[in-house]
Amino acid sequence: MSFRTLLLRTLQAVQPVLLEPGVMVAGSEVPNLLEPDARCSLLISRDVDLAVPVERHGAVKARLSEMSGLRRSEEEPSVWLPVGADLMEVNFIGMDTRGDRVGETYVLEDSELPLLVFPHLSLLRPGTPLNVEGLVIPVPRPAGLLLEKLLTDRSGEKGDRDLLVALALLLVSRPRDLDELEELYRGLPPEQRYDARSGLIALSLLEPHVQMPDPTPHRALLAGLLARLESGEPER
Amino acid sequence: MTDALHDRVRRMRERALIRSWEYRQRNLSKGVWHRLRRVLVDAAQAWQVDDPDADRLERGGCVPLAVGLELVPPKRVFFATEEQLATLSSRRRVPLRLGAVLLQAGNLVLIAHDSRLLPRSLRKDVSNGV
Repeated sequence: MSFRTLLLRTLQAVQPVLLEPGVMVAGSEVPNLLEPDARCSLLISRDVDLAVPVERHGAVKARLSEMSGLRRSEEEPSVWLPVGADLMEVNFIGMDTRGDRVGETYVLEDSELPLLVFPHLSLLRPGTPLNVEGLVIPVPRPAGLLLEKLLTDRSGEKGDRDLLVALALLLVSRPRDLDELEELYRGLPPEQRYDARSGLIALSLLEPHVQMPDPTPHRALLAGLLARLESGEPER
Repeated sequence: MTDALHDRVRRMRERALIRSWEYRQRNLSKGVWHRLRRVLVDAAQAWQVDDPDADRLERGGCVPLAVGLELVPPKRVFFATEEQLATLSSRRRVPLRLGAVLLQAGNLVLIAHDSRLLPRSLRKDVSNGV
């Protein structure tokens, strides 16, 4: 089974949750889905991240029983595992854009669907839902997710992969997405702007990873974006 | 049941603290790796040259970047043009990664993607002849 088929089947299985307003596919699968006809040629990841706005947590929980072919992981209950080989793992992650804890990393406690709330997911803005083979897939606009990936904490292989997801998003971004990226970037505090630039720097010098986009041919693009973000910064 | 999630939160917060420390260190000696990486981003190519060739570049007006001189042992890192590079007979291309080959090079000559994107102070160095 092709990776694209596996991904689309998984999104079909979680469609009841995806219909809940505010829920989005939010991880490495987004650039694959944003390719023409959701070609899924950019990178391979064996899981799907679903961002759940914390204010929609109750509504999403009510939809869990409508999902098919997945079961909750005993070890980590925010993860749902495929029952068969025709689906991928699904991770539910929390997104807090309007509560008292915006910008904080915390656990939304719940016996049925606890969520790890990632602070930079608050940068995500809903994009136009994709329609792939009759399946409606809510995705964020690339700019916010790209910035979120650049800000991600970089430790080991996972950090490298997040940066390569940022590269994949950059490759499917249009000029207006980069304008939005710059606008979002300018709204960050200095320390996070520095982190975002550090992410781009690390990405530019990253070694190729199997089944992930290679930064090497895109280094000039990365240098140009970095110079654009640096313009107006007091330090260079 | 949520122990694993709480453990991840704890580790993420610890790493966030380390990143804050790194941010505060950015202009001090601990920030040298960041500054070196930043210079390398602007380079399309990196070449290792021997001391006599690096001396030639300097005599011709190329100024070694400050960040290289902050390292121990110091490293002479230049931006140069392809024409300048072509005159350096010891040149040997090295991969643009913070790996052993690049770090062991005593003298590095960098070719910029686009010299217009370099900070103003470096643009002058690139335009100087050997």
